[in-house]
Amino acid sequence: MPPLMAIEFLCRVADVINGYLGGLNEDSIKDNFVIVYELLDEMIDNGFPLTTEPNILQEMIAPPNIVSKVLSVVTGNSSNVSDTLPGSTASCVPWRTADPKYANNEVYVDLVEQMDATINRDGVLVKCEINGEVQVNSHITGLPDLTLSFANPSILDDVRFHPCVRFRPWESNQILSFVPPDGQFKLMNYRVRKLKSTPIYVKPQLTSDGGICRLNVMVGMRNDPGKTVDSVNVQFQLPPCILSADLTSTHGTVNILSNKTCTWSIGRIPKDKAPSMSGTLVLETGLERLHVFPTFQVDFRIMGVALSGLQIDKLDLKTVPYRFYKGFRALTRAGEFEVRS
Amino acid sequence: MAPPPPQSNRSPSPSQPSGKSEVSDLKLQLRQLAGSRAPGTDDSKRDLFKKVISNMTIGIDVSSLFGEMVMCSATSDIVLKKMCYLYVGNYAKVNPDLALLTINFLQRDCKDQDPMIRGLALRSLCSLRVANLVEYLVGPLGSGLKDNNSYVRTVAVIGVLKLYHISATTCIDADFPETLKHLMLNDQDTQVVANCLSALQEIWTLESTTSEEAARERENLHSKPYVYYFLNRIKEFSEWAQCLVMELVAKYIPSDNSEIFDIMNLLEDRLQHANGAVVLATTKVFLHLTLSMADVHQQVYERIKAPLLTQVSSGSPEQSYAILSHLHLLVMRAPYIFSSDYKHFYCQYNEPSYVKKLKLEMLTAVANESNTYEIVTELCEYAANVDIPIARESIRAVGKIALQQYDVNAIVDRLLQFLEMEKDYVTSEALVLVKDLLRKYPQWSQDCIAVVGNISSNNVQEPKAKAALIWMLGEYSQDMHDAPYVLESLVENWDEEHSAEVRLHLLTAVMKCFFKRPPETQKALGAALAAGLADFHQDVHDRALFYYRLLQYNVSVAESVVNPPKQAVSVFADTQSSEVKDRIFDEFNSLSVVYQKPSYMFTDKEHRGTLEFSDELGNLSINAETGDSVVPAQRVEENDKDLLLSTTEKDDVRDPGSNGSAYNAPSYNGSVPSATSQPLADLAFSSTGATGQAPAPGLAIDDLLGLDFSVGTATTPSPPPLTLNPKAVLDPGTFQQKWRQLPISLSEEYSLSPLGIASLVTPNALLRHMQSHSIQCIASGGQSPNFKFFFFAQKAEEASIYLVECIINTSSAKSQIKIKADDQSSSQAFSTLFQSALSKFGLP
Repeated sequence: MPPLMAIEFLCRVADVINGYLGGLNEDSIKDNFVIVYELLDEMIDNGFPLTTEPNILQEMIAPPNIVSKVLSVVTGNSSNVSDTLPGSTASCVPWRTADPKYANNEVYVDLVEQMDATINRDGVLVKCEINGEVQVNSHITGLPDLTLSFANPSILDDVRFHPCVRFRPWESNQILSFVPPDGQFKLMNYRVRKLKSTPIYVKPQLTSDGGICRLNVMVGMRNDPGKTVDSVNVQFQLPPCILSADLTSTHGTVNILSNKTCTWSIGRIPKDKAPSMSGTLVLETGLERLHVFPTFQVDFRIMGVALSGLQIDKLDLKTVPYRFYKGFRALTRAGEFEVRS
Repeated sequence: MAPPPPQSNRSPSPSQPSGKSEVSDLKLQLRQLAGSRAPGTDDSKRDLFKKVISNMTIGIDVSSLFGEMVMCSATSDIVLKKMCYLYVGNYAKVNPDLALLTINFLQRDCKDQDPMIRGLALRSLCSLRVANLVEYLVGPLGSGLKDNNSYVRTVAVIGVLKLYHISATTCIDADFPETLKHLMLNDQDTQVVANCLSALQEIWTLESTTSEEAARERENLHSKPYVYYFLNRIKEFSEWAQCLVMELVAKYIPSDNSEIFDIMNLLEDRLQHANGAVVLATTKVFLHLTLSMADVHQQVYERIKAPLLTQVSSGSPEQSYAILSHLHLLVMRAPYIFSSDYKHFYCQYNEPSYVKKLKLEMLTAVANESNTYEIVTELCEYAANVDIPIARESIRAVGKIALQQYDVNAIVDRLLQFLEMEKDYVTSEALVLVKDLLRKYPQWSQDCIAVVGNISSNNVQEPKAKAALIWMLGEYSQDMHDAPYVLESLVENWDEEHSAEVRLHLLTAVMKCFFKRPPETQKALGAALAAGLADFHQDVHDRALFYYRLLQYNVSVAESVVNPPKQAVSVFADTQSSEVKDRIFDEFNSLSVVYQKPSYMFTDKEHRGTLEFSDELGNLSINAETGDSVVPAQRVEENDKDLLLSTTEKDDVRDPGSNGSAYNAPSYNGSVPSATSQPLADLAFSSTGATGQAPAPGLAIDDLLGLDFSVGTATTPSPPPLTLNPKAVLDPGTFQQKWRQLPISLSEEYSLSPLGIASLVTPNALLRHMQSHSIQCIASGGQSPNFKFFFFAQKAEEASIYLVECIINTSSAKSQIKIKADDQSSSQAFSTLFQSALSKFGLP
């Protein structure tokens, strides 16, 4: 048994159940065990994974959403299983619902990027990488054939595609050509390595002397990305040898939990001055200096910018003669953004 | 609470059942609904079914509702059907009579006009798994395989496999494998094809042991027509089926190189697949196809690098772990491939430690001249990590890199900095590494010794580190000013040193030191040899005796034995043979890689060891409580004996001369007086000129050693005899846990007396007997001639526990014993005790 097959499958089951029930926990499974049984029944038989495409599963087993509830009240037909088998199980685009119809045809393309970075105590960027996703939400009647191209595909280091993407056009011209599944899906994952800078800086300073450690953390914008950086959050674990901590900040709130996790929620970084947090940590008796240094995990979000610099050039629709609405968005979040001290 | 499913929004979600009355209540309600055709019946039925199933899931027996459930399921509502199938499937196994009832209605559903109902009914029918009902399966399966809806065919194919597992002959007689083969090669639907493939693989593999034809068919699957047929349709297959096909292709042997390139071109885009399982399966195909072409094989490494690295950083920690273990295997074969991508293996704060550990191993493996500095810098960051096991691992990683010979200069500096960090675990790990480094690079001794000399041995507690420090003290005693005195103080605390390893090292170190600086070490050597001879650990005792006699024979010979000129170690032994590694590589993309063991090591019975134990313990009868209730009288008697015993024990402890009968420690009483009576007259001390420094005249060695010997015999108490706590208690859970954790410290075979064999009619007889020797049984089982017991015992007045697995074969009169002990050093003594107890079994 290939180990990844098992793990990937379990992840997929978790995703699907999550999508159906809007959350995966003991209670949601207990309350909806019939649906969970039905799903598992279709997803695996005798140890062989079968249908795992959410689109097709939703045709076989309707999710317990409000629409179907309303529908069942109105029509009196409350079966959450569709009457017919999905046609696409036999079609050559297994990910697509047979023949959806929409009054408004629209496609939304989102670039969602996560920045993973490690910064050492001297402020040097040890590692910085972006893992991005192209998320597409498509509602188009019929069987559309889309092409999406980027202005600067050369910056991508490695890409992974949804099965709907044809490989040859990408290989020869870096064009994504695909028949999209209906609704929300992940078209592509990509990775961009060797970024030179981060949008914000976090500078922690620790000086210890005579059983007391002074901590000072500064946060600020480094290269103004043109958009506001918000949801900034700095979190770190106080080393076990610290008896008590007294920390205050010039902006935002500082919270220390009983498990010694310290969270400094800054929110939006003000334009005029850089926020800072400072205070003292009291060490265990008998300890002169701090030996274990905390790692600061930073969280932030920037709307409207893909920090990798990836830009969408154009999106075209072939084969279907409709006019349709196109929407593009970009978002960058902090992934594993760590600052060592 | 999450929103309840639509059907339950008119009634509260299934309540917790209160017991019997509710089941009969449900029965009544179901009966009322069974015949009803009124609108809305289905909804009320659903609620009832839900209640029944929720009762079933939490373990309440609702099988009495079987008849009513079946009656109610005569409906067109699929959800009701599904719930009913679930219910039927659950109870048919334990209730074959009831299963017969359901066959009828399932068979009828197999002919329903809705393909979904046909499929579901067929699946449930095949899942009943009742052997005497297989005859009813053949018909529906046959028509299911010919159904014009692919959903039904998919289900039917798996149904054939299920049938095969219930009754192989029925399946073969109905000629189903042949039908599947036909379907596999002709069906339009790829899911049907994929299911045929996996079913046939399983059937033919199992059949091939008995049928040549099946073996041939199985081989045929790897032949060109089949492989090409699957490859040509690869894009139509679902991602899981693609994995299956890739596994098949990896076993295919192409006839020439152009074929290899064709296959690789066809599959190249699979490396870009979003599903990691597909990527890894493709990687396997690429690697295995190109094994014969060295240069292409290298290009393949380059090609698969980026997709695999992407998999590491995206996805769950479990996915990362599985991928990293494969990367680790690859990097062992081609160390340079990731040398410029080392940053991917930097640990992130949030990662679980199993991923971090593997990343550290990767960092060690990818280190080379160009990246060592960065990697070591990064590793040093982890040494100050909050996560102590990871901090230790990273220090070890630094050491391993140093031993790989890159940039040793800088690394030695780092290691020495670790020694000054004043954290005990960092110091310990660093000491062990410095020792290994010095064995390989003696030229660094000056720098290292200067730092090591400043470490107080009192601050080092871990045995491995202490042993390393002592080794260095011995090896470099000429450079370390106070080495003899440090060693002397260590010898003085001999009794407080619990680790035999440390004591062994101490003996050798004192010897080495003696050859280099005799006058200063003489006293320590005498004390060490005396303490060593009196040591209750067999190895320590033997080594001390060996050194003593060696010195007695000829000091220069002793030196050439104990401290010969050494060559630097060039390569440390690899823990895994290359054969094993190749074997794991053959099993790429399987659990072998994750476990770092070839599959036979964890699938074959004899290799499984303790894994098996936990199953067995469940089957054996637990005797922990029953033992007490069976023999209460003996208990009292035993307690009386205990009182008597304890008084004699006290005498034993006070009198070092007489070893307790229970403990067969080697007796020195014979050899020691003979040594003292001939006070080393023949010890050729004049030849110590070889050491370059004659001892001061006043310190004649006979005097010295003679003195020490008398001291040794008089003051060092002989080890206390081993006595067991007669009232030891251990619950089965702890026993299992300990059994898993502890290594086997002794494994022996004894023969049993014929009388003992004769008395061993039931396991209980032996249990009582052993209990009277303070050895308790926790589980026993087996039938004549093979009996298996698990015993445990506890040292009197100590928490130390002994665990024993004892297999007795009455026909050969042999017993095999495996002993595990908290205190390894005394397991020999315990073994003797155990053996004597066992040998007394059956004696009047």
